Parts: sequence; C-alpha cells; structure tokens
Amino acid sequence: MIRIRGATKDYDRRQILRGLDLSVDAGEMVFLTGPSGAGKTTLLRLLYAAERPTSGEIWVAGSRVDTLARSELPQLRRKIGVIFQDFKLLRRKTVLENVTFVLRFHGIAQREAHRRAYRVLKRLGLHHRQSALPEALSGGEQQRVAIARALVYQPRLILADEPTGNLDADLASELLSLLCDINYQGATVVLATHDHALLESLPARTLVLRRGVIDYDGMWPP
Amino acid sequence: MIRHALAEGWLLLRSRGLISPVLALALAIPISLAGVTISVRQWLAPVIELGDRESVVSILLHPRLDGAERRTWMSEQAATHPQWQLATVEPDELAERLATWFPYLEEILDREGPEMLPTMVEIRTRDPQGVLVLKEDLSVLAVGPTSSVNQVVGRVARQFALMLISVVVALIAGAVLLAAVWVHLELHRHAEEIAIMRLMGATEATVRGPFLVAVAAPALLAAAASVVCTVLAVGFMARLAAPLGLTTAGVSPLILFVQVVGAVGLPMAAAFITLERYASADD
Repeated sequence: MIRIRGATKDYDRRQILRGLDLSVDAGEMVFLTGPSGAGKTTLLRLLYAAERPTSGEIWVAGSRVDTLARSELPQLRRKIGVIFQDFKLLRRKTVLENVTFVLRFHGIAQREAHRRAYRVLKRLGLHHRQSALPEALSGGEQQRVAIARALVYQPRLILADEPTGNLDADLASELLSLLCDINYQGATVVLATHDHALLESLPARTLVLRRGVIDYDGMWPP
Repeated sequence: MIRHALAEGWLLLRSRGLISPVLALALAIPISLAGVTISVRQWLAPVIELGDRESVVSILLHPRLDGAERRTWMSEQAATHPQWQLATVEPDELAERLATWFPYLEEILDREGPEMLPTMVEIRTRDPQGVLVLKEDLSVLAVGPTSSVNQVVGRVARQFALMLISVVVALIAGAVLLAAVWVHLELHRHAEEIAIMRLMGATEATVRGPFLVAVAAPALLAAAASVVCTVLAVGFMARLAAPLGLTTAGVSPLILFVQVVGAVGLPMAAAFITLERYASADD
C-alpha cells in the first residue's frame, strides 16, 4: 500500500526527513511515533501529496505520489482518508454537511450521503450535533467530526495525525477500536501519535521516527 | 457537478449579502461610461473628417515671370511636390473674383485689362501648412491663408476624440483592476475552504465551479446594468447634442455586445487566473 525509497524533505536547508525507506502492506495497522519535530506530520503530508519530497520515491495505493500530476491528485486523495491534527473543518458548514460534502466528490447521491454520514456520526456520538457549526463544538467534538469525514467514504488507506490529541481517554479508546474495526475490514491505517498509552493499548507495528529517520520498526513495546 | 456549483455558488453569494450587487454596480459604472464615451466618439467622426479634407491655398506669382517661366515653375513644383494639385486661375476669372471682393477695382480692371494682374495659382493639398515653403521662393509674390475653419474644427475634434479614447482606456483599466481585486479578495476569503476541498479529493472543476458561479452572477448583473445605463445615457446625451448640429445615433449593438463580454469576461478571466494561481501554489 505504501512504499518509500530514499525520501528526503528539506525546508529552508533544514532536513526534516533524511533518506527514509519504508514499506507498509495493504491491511496493516501501523503506529508512527517520535518526539515533536521528528517528521511525523511531514511524512503523512508526503503520503497524501500535500507536499512533494525533495528527493526519493513515494508510492501510495499503486500511484507514484512524488511525480503525480495535479490533475491526478483528486483520484489519489479519494483513496485516502486523512484525519488532520488541526481538523480542517469547513467553518461555514454544519457537522452533517462537513461529513457529506466529501461524499459528493465520490458521486454519492445526497440521500445516501446523509444516511452514511448519520451512521458514522452516530457511531462517534455526534448525531445529536449534526446541525451545529464547527465553532459551536468543543475541540474533542471537532476532532470527531474530522474523523467521521475521513471514515465516511470507507477509504483503503487512513492516515491519522494525532487523532486522539483532543479526546479524553474513553473517546480515544473508542476511536482506536473504530480504527481497528476499519483495519479489520481491510483498510490500511497509519496513525501518528506521541501518546504512549495509546501505543501500549494495542500491540501493532510501530515506527519510531527520530531526526528524520526511522529509528525503530517493530512491535511496541520493544 | 453543475448542481453542486450552483448550490454552493448561491451559498457564497448569500454569505456576501449586499456586497456582490454593490460590486456588480461598481463594475457597471466604468463599463457604462466607456460605452457612452465610445458612442460620443462616433458622433465626432464626421467632424474629425473635416480636418482630413483637402484645402486650397492660393499663391500669387511674381508679375515679372513670363508665360514660359510660369509653365516651367509649375512643372518644377508638380515634380517636387507630387501631393499638390496645381491649377492656374485664368486672368479673367481672377479679375472677376477681385471685382467681387473689391468693387472699386472694377473700373481699373476694365481700363487696364486683366493681363495687368499677377498670375494666381491654386494649390489643392491635405497639408496646407506645407505650402508655406513657397514663401522663400523668389518667383512667388505672396502665399494666401494656409488654414481653414474646417481644418481647425477637425483638428480640435480629433484632439477631443483622442482625449475620449484615453478616458475609455482609463475606465477599462479601472474595470479590470476592480474585477481582479474583487475576485482575488473573494477567493482569498475562501482560500482555506478551497485548500480543504482539494485535500479531500475534490477535482478542480468541483472546487472552481461554485466560485465561478458566485462571480458570474454579479458579472451578469453588471452586464445588464451597463447596457441599460449606456442606452439611457446615450439617449439623453443625443438630445443635448442635437442642437449643436452633431449627427447623433443610438448605441451601436457592437458596443453593447462588447460591454456584455467585458462585464462578464473580465471578472471571469480574473477568477480563472486567480484560481489557477491558487492551484499552482498547492503544487
């Protein structure tokens, strides 16, 4: 599902990723951890083609991402569900609209889109807030809307950047169980976190990123 | 996709409230003024043409020149100035003219005969000022007036028309600037939404559609307002200009067509360019 060969990423001569090699098979659940500034978010941004690497090759869901034409990006991104650290919700749209609008890009009819969105929102305990605007929601609720939006179209790959950062322990555990279910159904999940409790709650392949290189690749705890 | 563009475009327009119609009217003002100015410029065309007509400059040749010398002089001038049409005024005709202008000469002319008059040559040219070179010619006794009322009026009308064209250019530049700033601000306001939609897998058409609708609707309003204002203003000015003797006409359909194309095309072009720049910035 993901193959990275010698990927580097520089910002103003500062090297964030240094010759990264990585392979994630379809259906795998992978934790990505490391200290702040290790390059976790940058790595995820490279995977959903929000940025291009300075050098190296990146393959995601059969597409070479680093050379992908702009017109081909939507096709790639529709295969990926991204849960952003800063939620990236549309401020002028309600919770339900935030979740359903991505389904429009997939050509799903409005009635079916509403049905699917309601189902995901209910699972995340947000169905009663479907008419609220994001600004009326708490940080945890906004996080859950972002999660609902990423899951609603059942993508083959889920990239989650600190998805539990704004959630309490119970909700974090609920989210993890949700991601496990989705992974069980065949989706590949890459979850970036520095929450050690989360890592320890589920034995899974864990990549430790330090100073732009993978320092550890194996089950957690080591 | 069209339904999405229309629905989202309508939401964008609604969120802007009265700002979109106000901007549309602001765009209509320079476009209407440009239409009115071009119409007035068209009315001036016959007056401008007066300045391009040929003028006749009369010159008197020195009486000491005999017939052969006059013919030689005429041939030399025709060769040197091919743009001049030279014609000798026959002595009888010259005498007749002089008698008309100066009745007291009639008696002298009857007594002495028209042969005593110097030879007059008429030069027909589009550049009467050019005839002034003959003032230095020893064979020439005098050069007549080199400017006509028609030419002065034509020249003034030409200058005025040039000024009007400059005004049109300035108004169009103003319209372009207004459209570009309007669309740029509109898109800047929604830059975050555009970025999120792209990250979620929206195609360029899906992202751009609502913005193009939100720009096209006020642009159509601007086009309609421009056409109505121009027709009314030109009608009013035609009534004012009629007593001046100008041949006025209604607004040309071509001008109205160009106004519609400009009012819709300028903001749309600005939207396309700005959206393209946003898309490139994402790469």
